[in-house]
Amino acid sequence: MGYENRDIPEGINVSKAHPLKEFAWLAAGLIILVVFSVLVLSLMAEHLTRYIPFSLEQKATASVSKRYADEHPLNQQQQEVQTYLQTLADTLVVNQGLDDDMSITVHYVDDDTVNAFATLGGHVIIFKGLLQKMPHENALSMVMAHEIAHIKHRDPIISLGRGLTVYLALSSIVGIGNNSTFEQVLGQTGLLTMMSFSREQESAADRTALLTLKRYYGHLKGAATLFKLLQKEEAEHSAPSFFNSHPLTKDRIKAVMGFAKSIKAPADSTVKAFPDNIHKALRPPAETLEKAENQ
Amino acid sequence: MTNIIIFLVLLVLGYVFGRMAERRHFKSIIDREKQYKHILCFNERTLPVHTPIPEVSLVAGNVVISIDYFKRIAAGLNNIFGGRVRAYESLIERARREAILRMKEDAQQHGAQAIFNVKLETASIYKGRGQQIGSVEVYAYGTALINKS
Repeated sequence: MGYENRDIPEGINVSKAHPLKEFAWLAAGLIILVVFSVLVLSLMAEHLTRYIPFSLEQKATASVSKRYADEHPLNQQQQEVQTYLQTLADTLVVNQGLDDDMSITVHYVDDDTVNAFATLGGHVIIFKGLLQKMPHENALSMVMAHEIAHIKHRDPIISLGRGLTVYLALSSIVGIGNNSTFEQVLGQTGLLTMMSFSREQESAADRTALLTLKRYYGHLKGAATLFKLLQKEEAEHSAPSFFNSHPLTKDRIKAVMGFAKSIKAPADSTVKAFPDNIHKALRPPAETLEKAENQ
Repeated sequence: MTNIIIFLVLLVLGYVFGRMAERRHFKSIIDREKQYKHILCFNERTLPVHTPIPEVSLVAGNVVISIDYFKRIAAGLNNIFGGRVRAYESLIERARREAILRMKEDAQQHGAQAIFNVKLETASIYKGRGQQIGSVEVYAYGTALINKS
């Protein structure tokens, strides 16, 4: 018949190049692209979100805040703590010099979680667990002033703006690839940046808080105590969730301690105890029971 | 973090086992191609003139091959940067040659010496289902010429 099948040489469709080599190049390229765009975009977002008026934040969070308050009514004792916290916050606001259009709303949560955080719309949430750990009012003021400083610096909205921008950017890169696995990995990166303040933001809030305390009390006695206490807590394995949103790095403690030392405290400087009714409200239930039995 | 670890483990597993399977498959393909070399394959629809018309029969072979995790990710990177999708090229090559081999095996059982009008059909399976599984089917078929003499 005169027909034949000649041998086709190998390697026409399959290249000899090692697959890992190309993979490494492309993966490195993608990582550089992502890191670069995330950096540039988050810087731009941080810069731009500052221009969102605070009143808009307040308007956006008003309904959530009201619904929460309706769903979690406070009893009389809790109400006293809340009022006390709000009064303290208002005093610190004056000493910190917040803009006139900004206001702080404190929410007391009757829960053992050791945490406090500032969020959008000037809302500061303080948990009972954290209050119980505070030895005196000065330590509490440090926490409060730190959270108020976050709001003064517009950190919550900046973090949100930054996080959203990064998330959108990553999703659009992923959109080109159209691959669900990338989406999962990259999406999480975006969400992580959305929910946390950067180290710089934390340090800046520390500095503002210390200056506020200095103005209010005239010394920084309690502030340093708070950091020592937190450091001790951390060492004793049971790192409370406070550290998750407020990473307590060595540099941060060092900076605070250095600042505290640089300010000469008057010889007669004393820390301020909690008012009696607050002290009573915060006492752990076990202790209350014991006292009742002794009487 | 857990997700990233799972991702990396899947990537390594996909690479190791995928590469092992591919190497073994290519070796087997090359061996069997030599074995069935005597069965000739042509895509012409008509026989050469003056060929005695023998008995004919439809012969076919099909294969479905799935990509591994590493190939999927590598192809994802190619989707962003462009270029040859080498991860898929070798996959399709394997599927095509395997399908032709299976068709030849079928022809062998019929006692055929040649296959004319060979055609390849391909289909991707699970297309559009969230990209969970990617596999390709290649179907090879043709008219086998069987000389009874």
